Amino acid sequence: MTAVAPDTLAAGTQPAWRRWLRRHGWTVGVWILLLALIVYYSTLIPRFGWFQVASIVNNSTPLVFLAVAQAIIVIAGGIDLGVGGMLVLSSVTAAQLMEGQGFGVTLLIAIAIIAVAAAMNAGVGWIITVSNVPDIVITLGSLYVFQGMALAVLPNPGGGTSEGFRYMFTGSNTGIGSNPWPAAIMMTIAVAGVALWMGKTKGGLSLYAVGSDKTAAYLSGIRAALVKIKAYAIGGGFAALAGLATTAIAGRGNATTVGGNLTLNSVAAIVLGGVALTGGIGSAIAVVPAGIILFFLNPILTAMGVDPHGAQVIQGVLIVFVMAVTGLLEWRRRRRS
Amino acid sequence: MVKEDFLLAARGVAKKYGSVIALRSADLSVGSGEIHALLGANGAGKSTLVKILSSVIASDTGAIEVHGEATNLRTPSDSIAAGIATVFQDPALIRDLTLEQNLRISGLDKADVEPWLVRMNLGHIDFDLQVADVPLAVLRLLDLARALAHDPQLLMLDEITAALTTDQASYVFEVMREWKDRGRSVLFISHRLGEVLEMCDRATILRNGADVAHLDLRGVDEGQLVTAMLGAELIEEFAEGPVEEVDSTRAVDVLEDRDVVLEAKGLYLRDKVNGVSFQLRSGEILGLTALEGQGQDELFQVLSGDHRPTAGELLVDGERLNARSPYDAIRRGLVLVPADRQKALLPQRSVRENLSTPLYARAGRWFTIASDEVERVDRAVERLDIDIRAGSQAQRLSGGNQQKVTIGRWLASGFDTLLCFDPTRGIDIQTKAQIYDLLREVAATGASVLLYTSELREIPLVCDRALVMYAGRIVHEQDAATATEETLLTAAHGLQEASA
Repeated sequence: MTAVAPDTLAAGTQPAWRRWLRRHGWTVGVWILLLALIVYYSTLIPRFGWFQVASIVNNSTPLVFLAVAQAIIVIAGGIDLGVGGMLVLSSVTAAQLMEGQGFGVTLLIAIAIIAVAAAMNAGVGWIITVSNVPDIVITLGSLYVFQGMALAVLPNPGGGTSEGFRYMFTGSNTGIGSNPWPAAIMMTIAVAGVALWMGKTKGGLSLYAVGSDKTAAYLSGIRAALVKIKAYAIGGGFAALAGLATTAIAGRGNATTVGGNLTLNSVAAIVLGGVALTGGIGSAIAVVPAGIILFFLNPILTAMGVDPHGAQVIQGVLIVFVMAVTGLLEWRRRRRS
Repeated sequence: MVKEDFLLAARGVAKKYGSVIALRSADLSVGSGEIHALLGANGAGKSTLVKILSSVIASDTGAIEVHGEATNLRTPSDSIAAGIATVFQDPALIRDLTLEQNLRISGLDKADVEPWLVRMNLGHIDFDLQVADVPLAVLRLLDLARALAHDPQLLMLDEITAALTTDQASYVFEVMREWKDRGRSVLFISHRLGEVLEMCDRATILRNGADVAHLDLRGVDEGQLVTAMLGAELIEEFAEGPVEEVDSTRAVDVLEDRDVVLEAKGLYLRDKVNGVSFQLRSGEILGLTALEGQGQDELFQVLSGDHRPTAGELLVDGERLNARSPYDAIRRGLVLVPADRQKALLPQRSVRENLSTPLYARAGRWFTIASDEVERVDRAVERLDIDIRAGSQAQRLSGGNQQKVTIGRWLASGFDTLLCFDPTRGIDIQTKAQIYDLLREVAATGASVLLYTSELREIPLVCDRALVMYAGRIVHEQDAATATEETLLTAAHGLQEASA
């Protein structure tokens, strides 16, 4: 064993900004990509103003929340195919219960839905840890269950919500307007909260620990099973939040929305956001721009005159490209060490 | 020994993994203010016992008492709360997190470990570093500091000094002495017997999963420890096996004019393999032994084409082998029987399919297997004497039969050199004998075998020549017929650098 000169481990041997960039480079990159796309988009269309910004921010909220849900679970070493189903179920339940209610009641209903969704997904996590069946199998089941429950709750598209509730997520009582701030604030509070919790507290760091190295986490005194259940619970809560945003935007619920597609979008978003599907690596902060970009590609490609099918191809190519770049970077890092 | 209150007492602790017995029945008691050594050869059950004592795994039977009271510790965090902190062989730190974050998940912060780190000359360390960027030796000390921060009654150290430099190890010893002076206890596991004698008061010696001796270490020397670890009756115990007669024609001098089929010239792999050179001749069984973690795993990775050496070269039949993957090595007749049988087998496929894998694994094979190849598989099945009743799925075979299949698949496809990594680990004595016969037979047909074994007695039984590896180098070479377990074990502990 070569003796290591202790100095290389001391603080300040590497400029702080270089280390920061190395650790958060991906996050910075995705945010820059989003800004670049917005600038590019503004040159494509004749008028670019607050209305367009609000449209992008508001309409990408559900995908952003769903991606954060997926990110939390994947970072903890799982994967939840059921989040899309949970989104649809929460959305239609909200539409069913909130119709004709005042803002105060709808807010209480929303909180109750988030709590129940978290509890239900905690149950999914519990089944995974107890049965030892791979996450992907159990959550494929939960996807179908949630989707089926959604159809039972609201067989035909309909229901409604309060104006105040729509304003919370869209900045407008009708769901259409030029005010992106309420949605932006909702996203900021929720995502910053969860990112801070995950990066700074024992409970949050445990998610990374379990996803990164279950054995070492266990030996460090972490109860891995409990951590995983916690991740699924919080993920379920965020999926419900995505469902509430969906209802607020549309003003009604639709149980025929295919939850599976939403799940796949959430996976695509976390991959673009730099979350390792093997667990232990990633940040909710980077998942936000990634979710917005994935939603945003559609209007950009439409503005470019690409037909919708072409848009899907480009989304797919983007994901493969991102994965290939990640793989290459990881390979280079390993070769150097 | 005066009856005293033990800090920790384990009685009749046993553990089985499937049909493999890791611990038969072990007693261990550690008194207050005592540094206690846990010794034993590879596979004696040391690590299993440590894992049970730290509640990483549950024992099948047996009782553990702390301060004379029965305990029911279920998880490592329970053990820590009960005052038992362990530093495991592999640091239990999360690669993707920073040092500070790693402390936080254990419920500690910088201030808890800093005083310890200062004493280990690591006071300046940057807690914002990621674990992946910190060298192993430093991680070990960090892990120790973390354990100390819990202020345990009993500190368990599993091979902590293995990767440490002398001065780093001296910090560890200093801490151990302090723990003793404070009336607390240390359980110390080390292959370095010199350290053990210097530091420890008493020792418990495990052999084959049971405690065979409890020694007061005053006035004991290294030779006596080695004898205690091996046991005097071992040689006779094994002699009743069916392979006792050694073929006298297979002496080393006969092999000397045979061709060299495999030659390693100064192989290096990172810091694990440090300049390994040897020659393997046609028809020879070359034995290799070492304590765990001396670079033998990495050496086999290089030989089998799984890893490229960082320096040095490998010659097959005098020509350089530049393998990019095991495929290249296999094409040159260099085949591996790995330590983990599960990695070599297709567990859900039949025995016949497993045997024929190397036949159709060749690139460019698009057609069905030829009839002569079917015959070869038939012959291999017959030769191996595999119990075919469970033949529909290789995973249903016993460990011994699985091992026969992993060797047998190379018999069906043909090879020049067989690299066997501990092929008899966890296998019953009768199947072991069959595997020895098989290896001898292979050698008799002119193929050569490199046999790594952690069971020293296999060297004189099966091999022609013996090599011992220590710290990534070959430190000892001798005629296997004259090799005794004592000389091998002494060399394996790095105690005697000169070749016999």
